[in-house]
Amino acid sequence: MPTERGQDADAEVEGLLALIRERYGDRLTPEQLDGVKKGVEGIVKAARALRAVRLENSDEPMQSFVPYRADP
Amino acid sequence: MNLVFLPVRRLAELVRAREVSPVALAETFLHRLETLGPRYNAVVTVTRERAMEAARRAEREIAAGRYRGPLHGIPYGAKDLLATAGGIPTTWGAAPLRAQRFEYDATVIRKLDEAGAVLCAKLAMVELAGGMGYRQPHASFTGPGINPRNPDAWSGGSSSGSGSAVAAGLVPFAIGSETWGSILSPAGFCGVAGLRPSYGRVSRHGAMALCWTLDKLGPLCLTADDCGLVLEAIAGPDPADPTTTDRAWRYDDTGTRRDFRFGVLTGVTEGSEDAVRANFERSLDVLRGIGTVEEVELPALPYEAITRTILHVEAASAFEDFIEGGTIAELTAPEDHYAAYARDAILAKDYVKALRLRAVMAREADRVLSRFDALVGPGRVNVAPPLDQEFRSAIGGAAPDVMGAVGNGAGLPAIIVPNGVGDRSLPTSVQFMGRVYEENTILAAARAYGVRP
Repeated sequence: MPTERGQDADAEVEGLLALIRERYGDRLTPEQLDGVKKGVEGIVKAARALRAVRLENSDEPMQSFVPYRADP
Repeated sequence: MNLVFLPVRRLAELVRAREVSPVALAETFLHRLETLGPRYNAVVTVTRERAMEAARRAEREIAAGRYRGPLHGIPYGAKDLLATAGGIPTTWGAAPLRAQRFEYDATVIRKLDEAGAVLCAKLAMVELAGGMGYRQPHASFTGPGINPRNPDAWSGGSSSGSGSAVAAGLVPFAIGSETWGSILSPAGFCGVAGLRPSYGRVSRHGAMALCWTLDKLGPLCLTADDCGLVLEAIAGPDPADPTTTDRAWRYDDTGTRRDFRFGVLTGVTEGSEDAVRANFERSLDVLRGIGTVEEVELPALPYEAITRTILHVEAASAFEDFIEGGTIAELTAPEDHYAAYARDAILAKDYVKALRLRAVMAREADRVLSRFDALVGPGRVNVAPPLDQEFRSAIGGAAPDVMGAVGNGAGLPAIIVPNGVGDRSLPTSVQFMGRVYEENTILAAARAYGVRP
């Protein structure tokens, strides 16, 4: 499995955690915030695994948009 | 005659021949739901009034020669995320939603009504189908799902009551849902058959949305054959769910093939308990008697990360009000009070990357599966965990589950059936995963596996 080069994962976790602390910190206990941090670590790990895969320009998302028109 | 633990197919023969009355059948299973349901924390609501009305109607119709098919007069239970009219609560397993009611039936409920099946209970489930990050069995306001095979063990989730109710003979079949593992887990842990249909095979209209592009509804039954009978009744296009496929589906229960081609992913038993691995090896020996077994590799891709990222983003959006408004603090599992906040850390670019990789994953899975009738693997890497312990979850990133990530991320069908006994006298299982829309192929394989030479 390729891994993403560069960038410090810990710094990324701390940066993203700061956002969550800003948004929800007033409703989280220190123990809960620790739990959220573990979740962010998992998210960063997954994101770095995704970023490490190189795709072609033609690789489109598997989620197509279909224009809508009500009948008739 | 003891009607409990008879497969749907056998019950149907008895009902059609008028040897068993739908009213007597309903009374039998309603009594079991009311008396034994609490033992397993399997039931949210027993729908006695609706059931007796449907059973009496079935009895009249059959007596008049208007037999609708193999589910006519057969009792069943539905996971409590399927909307039901008539004032019956639909709680989604969540304490803050104990009183939630809808004024319509989910399409699956309506289709089962049309098939003459008798809704006897709304069955317990993990709160919000496990979408808020639970890591242990105490995650429903009805209590942890208790395994009929061992009362110290969990029944699995999130379709906890659907698995335990079938295994305990509280209903002949049940409907569950799966976003990632929620049919296969309770079926495997409780030792029954569970079928996860292709994405879009069964309408999601009226079902709680956890992840719009991952949610599937399917049956849990005593046998693979019964899963086919139930799927035929609930499958089909639905204008109310534009993601349903137009491909018609009929259950093909004919034929006894012995020329199956099975693939086994390299390393598929990694992380499995010893008994799971040993029973899977024995299953492969059986499968070699009905076909070929070949080891195969998928290309190296971060499969779990792809499906997990999509799941987390869709669930966070589906329950945005619930999360942002702080209602998650009223859920049962302590970890469900905060775990979802972490999902704000998923960046939009990473989510779109997951969607692009999903297309690659789907193509690669289909390329590999096109050479086989099914990929096989252990249904679960472990037997049901104890009630009082945290478990390792692939969704949480703590356990490998490539087949689950690929199968759910690419919308592929899978069926799980018991294959032996493991630690603490709990069942182990084997799963068959097929190309999209190949439910008949995996059902045939599971049936052939069950009929040992």
